[in-house]
Amino acid sequence: MNIEIKNLKKKFNDHYVLKDISLTIENNKSTIILGQSGCGKSVLIKTIYQLFNFDSGEIIYNKKPNVNIDNFSMLFQYGALFDSLKISENIAFTDFINNKKNFRKRVMSLMNDVGLDKSIFNRYPSELSGGMKKRAALARALYKNPKVIFLDEPTTGLDPINSDKINDLILKVITKRKITAVSITHDIKSAIKTGDNYFFIDDGIVEDKGECRNILKTKNKKFKSFITGARY
Amino acid sequence: MKIIENIGQTFISLFSNLGKFVLFIIFFFKYLLNPKFYFKNNLSYFINIFVTSIPIIALTGIFSGMVLALQSYTGFSRFSAESAIPNIVVLTLTRELGPVLTGLMISARVGSSIAAEIATMRVTEQIDALRTLNTNYYNYLVVPRVISLTLALPIFVTLVDFIGVMGGYIVSVHRLGFNDNLYLLNTVNFLSLNDYLSGIFKAFTFGFIISIVSCYCGLFSGKGAFGVGSATTNAVVISSVLILSTNYFLTELFF
Repeated sequence: MNIEIKNLKKKFNDHYVLKDISLTIENNKSTIILGQSGCGKSVLIKTIYQLFNFDSGEIIYNKKPNVNIDNFSMLFQYGALFDSLKISENIAFTDFINNKKNFRKRVMSLMNDVGLDKSIFNRYPSELSGGMKKRAALARALYKNPKVIFLDEPTTGLDPINSDKINDLILKVITKRKITAVSITHDIKSAIKTGDNYFFIDDGIVEDKGECRNILKTKNKKFKSFITGARY
Repeated sequence: MKIIENIGQTFISLFSNLGKFVLFIIFFFKYLLNPKFYFKNNLSYFINIFVTSIPIIALTGIFSGMVLALQSYTGFSRFSAESAIPNIVVLTLTRELGPVLTGLMISARVGSSIAAEIATMRVTEQIDALRTLNTNYYNYLVVPRVISLTLALPIFVTLVDFIGVMGGYIVSVHRLGFNDNLYLLNTVNFLSLNDYLSGIFKAFTFGFIISIVSCYCGLFSGKGAFGVGSATTNAVVISSVLILSTNYFLTELFF
């Protein structure tokens, strides 16, 4: 699915978080949104997902202004698993709450895809490590068979080895299932590894864009500063 | 000028929150009348509320009844009207103390837990996750809680009434020397169905108030641990104040 965003503006109270965002998310590609904390990355993807309304601008999904969000799925920053439900019930949430019984096989297969051991099928989220929660949340996001998946800082809170494992997993899953991916990250290594295109957002506007393989060759001063951590 | 500005801001914020709350109630009824009913979810929530609240309800009932009997004796013995104690205990409990004390206890026990749970879900993006999973949070979170508590409170009040009367009986018979048969006979003969039903009507109303206020405070909580804490406090304080004030108007109604 192609998603085109034109001059998007979004404010909370009187403060504009997104001042003027224009970007294109290409079909079956992995788009990375980069930017400092609080620059509006999460607001942007939640607005694209239609979890938030926007004040002005346009979002066009496959040349149409509206979209069925059944085609979308999201991996939240800290997983957002439901504490009172077992992992299997979390993964097959919609089937579980609608009393459909035959989700076991599908959940098992997804757990296998994301590298989760079958022994945690009946465990609760509080009994899992951060990495396992992320995998379970990814399995839940994939349960819908989405065409577009939004990943909000998928490696946040994980050690470098687990971060790399999650990156490999995301790459494997989106390639195998031919899913359009939109990821938010602060981690340049992850961006280069998992992304095709990137957009660097600063102060509510797109400051820089390009192909992820060329991230380190950027000429943009602000983005360079973001990459190196040096203040300009 | 700054003071006037602050007062103005406070009023705007107050009316804006009031408007939001009214809209929230309207949406609740909209989803109640057109529900996607998660039966398992509703039932498990009802059982959970019921089982966890029984001990506190029993304690509230027994001690209220016991204290009521003792205090009534103190007053009535001054003009030799001790025989009215069973009547006063049963009437006060069914019409007044049963619904109000149960409402206040349940607001602290269940209302706070509803607000904290939903506020935590808000803070940890679980509410957003529900929406991404095509699940309406009114159907999944609000409607089951409001239905469960509105239906559970009359049962709790009935229990408090019964246990409270038994508390009064124990104190009156074993401490104050009343005849046990006479005490029970006076209680049963004096109580009318209207007394009981007025308490039950109050219980329905208080159950609705506690659950809807707690869900609202949870869903519109602030961010972080402070937001969860404030939501919990607000839920208990607002519910308690509304219970006490609504109780007066309902008492006027059944007077």
